[in-house]
Amino acid sequence: MTKSTNPLISVADLKKIYVRGSEHIHAVYGISLDISKGDYIAFVGPSGSGKTTLLHLLGCLDNPTEGSLTVNGQNVFSNDRSMNERELTKLRRELFGYVFQKFYLIPTLTVRENITLPFAFYQKNEAEQTADRLADLLGISHRLDHLPKELSGGEMQRVAIARALINKPQILLADEPTGNLDSKRSAEIAEIFHKLNQDEGLTIILVTHNHALAESAGKMVELRDGRLV
Amino acid sequence: MPSLFGIAWKNLRRKRLRSLLTIVGIALSTWVLVSLLGFNQGYENSLNKDIDNLGFQVLLTAKGCPYEAATLMLKGGTGLKYMSESIIDSVIANPQVEKVTPMLMHAVFDPNKGESGGITAFLGIDPTTYPAMKSYLVFQQGQWFDQPEALEAVFGYEAAELEQREVGDLYLLPEAEVEIKVVGVLKRSGTQDDGTIFLPIKTLQKVYDVEGKITSVGIKVQKETDLTAYEDELYKMQDVQVVSMAQVKQTISNLVATARVMVMSIALIAILIAMVGVMNTVLMSVLERWQEIGIMKSMGAMTSHIFKLIWFETILLTFVGGVIGSIMSWILASVTDTLIRSVLPYSPTSSLVQIDILLALKAIGIIMGIGIISGIYPAFKAAKIRPIEAIRSTDGEI
Amino acid sequence: MKRGMLLMILLLMAIHGLYAAVGCDLNDPDRDVKRLFPASTGYKTHYVSIQQKGGKALLAKVEQRLGDKFTGLYETMDVPYTVYEIYKGKEVIGYIHGVNQKGQYGGIQVFLALNKQGVIQAFYYQKMTNQAAKSFRSSEFARQFVGLSGQDFASYDPKAGKLEGSLIKIKNPSVKAEADFKATLRGVKKNLILMQEFGYIK
Repeated sequence: MTKSTNPLISVADLKKIYVRGSEHIHAVYGISLDISKGDYIAFVGPSGSGKTTLLHLLGCLDNPTEGSLTVNGQNVFSNDRSMNERELTKLRRELFGYVFQKFYLIPTLTVRENITLPFAFYQKNEAEQTADRLADLLGISHRLDHLPKELSGGEMQRVAIARALINKPQILLADEPTGNLDSKRSAEIAEIFHKLNQDEGLTIILVTHNHALAESAGKMVELRDGRLV
Repeated sequence: MPSLFGIAWKNLRRKRLRSLLTIVGIALSTWVLVSLLGFNQGYENSLNKDIDNLGFQVLLTAKGCPYEAATLMLKGGTGLKYMSESIIDSVIANPQVEKVTPMLMHAVFDPNKGESGGITAFLGIDPTTYPAMKSYLVFQQGQWFDQPEALEAVFGYEAAELEQREVGDLYLLPEAEVEIKVVGVLKRSGTQDDGTIFLPIKTLQKVYDVEGKITSVGIKVQKETDLTAYEDELYKMQDVQVVSMAQVKQTISNLVATARVMVMSIALIAILIAMVGVMNTVLMSVLERWQEIGIMKSMGAMTSHIFKLIWFETILLTFVGGVIGSIMSWILASVTDTLIRSVLPYSPTSSLVQIDILLALKAIGIIMGIGIISGIYPAFKAAKIRPIEAIRSTDGEI
Repeated sequence: MKRGMLLMILLLMAIHGLYAAVGCDLNDPDRDVKRLFPASTGYKTHYVSIQQKGGKALLAKVEQRLGDKFTGLYETMDVPYTVYEIYKGKEVIGYIHGVNQKGQYGGIQVFLALNKQGVIQAFYYQKMTNQAAKSFRSSEFARQFVGLSGQDFASYDPKAGKLEGSLIKIKNPSVKAEADFKATLRGVKKNLILMQEFGYIK
């Protein structure tokens, strides 16, 4: 359990319990953890270990059943109080960027439009310039006017990463980012994450089954049965 | 940078056939709605035109049993009861009256018409007062007769066509076998005047031996006159019947009102059916994009953004469908006119279905309004999606 | 008051009904076909006009054959003509065709019943307004036309009105009705020419 002064994300005794009929399933069983700015953490573990659930909780995509969660000094969830959906949405767009296994690009929008999609929901100046810079950084400048169906898997994931970064988040959350890619493309993505963390100082939290990717992270944290090992 | 509207528009193009079919459904409902609104407008206007074209506001006829009189007239003979000409003097004495014109309707059996004869209707008019009241009547050839006892006639267009009469031709008055000269042929007016043969009233009275008698008096009142009050005064007169053109309009309107209510209900049902189609299309589209919408929420889309996004799709569908439907109804107005005419017991002669820009805009507005309402449920459902639900809906992992 | 209104409505409706469209249809085709062709079992109705069948060129030809121009408001290229094709079983046994002709006092409607070769089987006035109408409508007058065909009328000049050759037997029933007698003959000639030009008879 990492403890540091002024952590970016801090959880204490975090629990997530699902009720299925008469059964209570502890997906996450009392985890306490601090994540600092600039950390690059990979959660690993077998299927059902709760790593994805933990990722969702840390990323404010889901509410814990018990415990406390503080992000950037703000109390997101505690036994007394939790943020409402509106507050959570605001928090997410200011601090987080998300990358998923399935890319989730809008098929009717071009690459450029997909990257700048978050700005359909709130105003930001220099949106186009940031998009160009990110496209350049991720090696997809030549694809900006193409539709997702014209891209390879690796290219699509890069677009998703660019989109996740467009709002200049402090934390990048990635759930099995190489799950749908071959080894060559996976290695490219691993390289990108490494670069973002080292060069841009981006805090990265990811979940993966890919050993190469996990090893390229700064820290590997293993979960088993909803607990840290 | 995409806009909400742009995203909505592009999304409709994702499933083109589905969007197209939905638009077709809306277009058809709009066609029905616009046509029926056009009919409502057209019928009223046409009816008023027919009645206003009578030229006078109040008609006095002889008291009697009009049912029998009408049928007697149709079968031939002078079944209509007469009034004395002197009635004109008492009517014109009233300062509220602007103009008065006496008329003598006379139907004669003509044995030469068709196989076993037919009826010809003559209208005896006063050449000094009648033409002024019907100033909209235009001549194809010739003009009105001016002498009160001339053996001359003016033919309505269709009456002239049947007898192949032109100005200068002779005509033989049936039964009496009196020769008269045709001095005018009117252009088609789209009213009952087309089938009428006009003669000077004194001539008609003399030929058919009904001197001093008339069948009706047309009255035009001064502008400032209270028509209802004036009619009340007329009721007091002996042996006459007062027919107010305004009330005739009302009666016919009432006769048609029931049909109109039924017709509007049908239009409403057609609209509701199309709207259910819209709701279904948009709802299906939302369900298909469950994950996408959830991810948008994770990117910072608020509930209101998603709500607007889905709503835009509904508005686009109804707007496009509404416009197409309005154009269709405008193009097919004459077809609709023919259809309605075949069903109604009495149709005014001018256009039954009158569609203008204002009407089309009104209908499009109604369609869009109902569309907006039917879009609320899918939009609400979409707006409520939480990112985690979207992500989880595919993943098996906890 | 209400009765007065009903009267008004009835008047409006009635006058509408008195004058139907003007072409030259039989008033009661079922009855008239049976009467003129007692052996018939059925008929077909065809609508033709000069405009349809040949336009200006056809009109010029018809006028030349008639020996007179088409005049007035009502004798135009687009006037519809009705030809009744008479059947016995599946076989065509003849035709009935009527034309409008301007008379002295009103329109004259002259109908001819023709056999397949175009020979007049019957002559019939559906409409004729004249003081001497009765004598015109008599069977004696009508019988004068039976057996005649287009060929007999070929050299007849409707403007001069002089009867020659096979037409000489046709007598005017009334001296005072000379105009309508000439109009009738013009109508018959026009009727036969149109039937030939429309292609029903030779």
